[in-house]
Amino acid sequence: MKKETITAIFFGLLFGAILAVFISLKSKDIELSKNKVIAPPKEKSLTNLNGLEMQPLEISEPANNAIFEKDIIRFKGTAAKDSLIVIQSPIKDLAVKNTQGKFDLEFPLALGENSIKIVIYPQEKQFRPQEKYMKVYYIDSEL
Amino acid sequence: MKKIIAYCYSLLLLYCLLTSSFVLAQTPSLSSVASSSPTVVVDKDIQQLKDKIANKVSEIRKENNKAISGFVLNIDGNNMKLDNTGDVNQVKFDDTLTKAFKVLGTTKKEIKTNDITKGDYAIVSGVVVDNVITANVVLIDENFLVDSGKITEINKDTYNIKVLTSDKNTYSLDIETGTKQYLINIKTLVREVIGFSKLKEGDMVHFVVKKTSEQKNNDYSGVKILIIPQEYFIK
Repeated sequence: MKKETITAIFFGLLFGAILAVFISLKSKDIELSKNKVIAPPKEKSLTNLNGLEMQPLEISEPANNAIFEKDIIRFKGTAAKDSLIVIQSPIKDLAVKNTQGKFDLEFPLALGENSIKIVIYPQEKQFRPQEKYMKVYYIDSEL
Repeated sequence: MKKIIAYCYSLLLLYCLLTSSFVLAQTPSLSSVASSSPTVVVDKDIQQLKDKIANKVSEIRKENNKAISGFVLNIDGNNMKLDNTGDVNQVKFDDTLTKAFKVLGTTKKEIKTNDITKGDYAIVSGVVVDNVITANVVLIDENFLVDSGKITEINKDTYNIKVLTSDKNTYSLDIETGTKQYLINIKTLVREVIGFSKLKEGDMVHFVVKKTSEQKNNDYSGVKILIIPQEYFIK
């Protein structure tokens, strides 16, 4: 066999292999993009036996064990619309109706440790109350 | 044949080198950028750099700044151990840095670390290194427990109520003359002062009690209770 023939065969095979790999990768991508997700999305609501859904309590602020240099903080988060929000600490009791679904409530802190319990009583009585407990610290910056 | 194989390998090697050089060519090296820019030393730039470093240090310090609390298990010179429901934390005092205070309601009084005794409830803020917190501030305060549940039993003779919480804990609360008692008005949601006679089995109660280091059971004297009447849930 001539040297040129062997070289041509080799490059032919190489090109073929590269093309095969490229096509297989591309077809996988196309297949994935066409496929529909069968698994249900991450549950963002609670469902009862009657199929009614309720938004779970989520607190974006403050974080548990957070340290603050001010004696007033804001509780921010989401909970079921029209539920009763009760926030209690040794120095403050707060009860408000969550008319918007989102809440942003001012809350005072005592110097040092603040044990705080947040309870949501849903308007639909078939749902159980949701609770969260947290500790936040108010350490005066002047100390 | 050997020559052919060598020829093919050299071609493949050349191809690989060419493609890798394209990739490398896309990332300019730092040294080339640095050498191309003029190196002019200006005081302002140095100051900016200093500020940046200072900010970063303070940021890192803030990140590492933690607060812990617990009952004092033992205190020995510049070391203290805190027990927080089974979790033991090691605290170190720094003679020049650590400040200690006793919290008296809304005010505070500076104390010495020597004044802290076993059984005190301490709140410590400082930097944690290797599971040891070097205290910046130590606050000696009372430990409060805040919880809620349903009233399952009322004893009108002993002024005591039993409360079942959602995590199946039963608390026995003594309602004393000093206990602040409130009820949520179901129409206005305003807190109203009430007496013991207003409490009913089935009401929801949010309570605050003081916890001491000797406390072993769930019997407490109530500091504050807030009642959500059962009528709220059947309206």
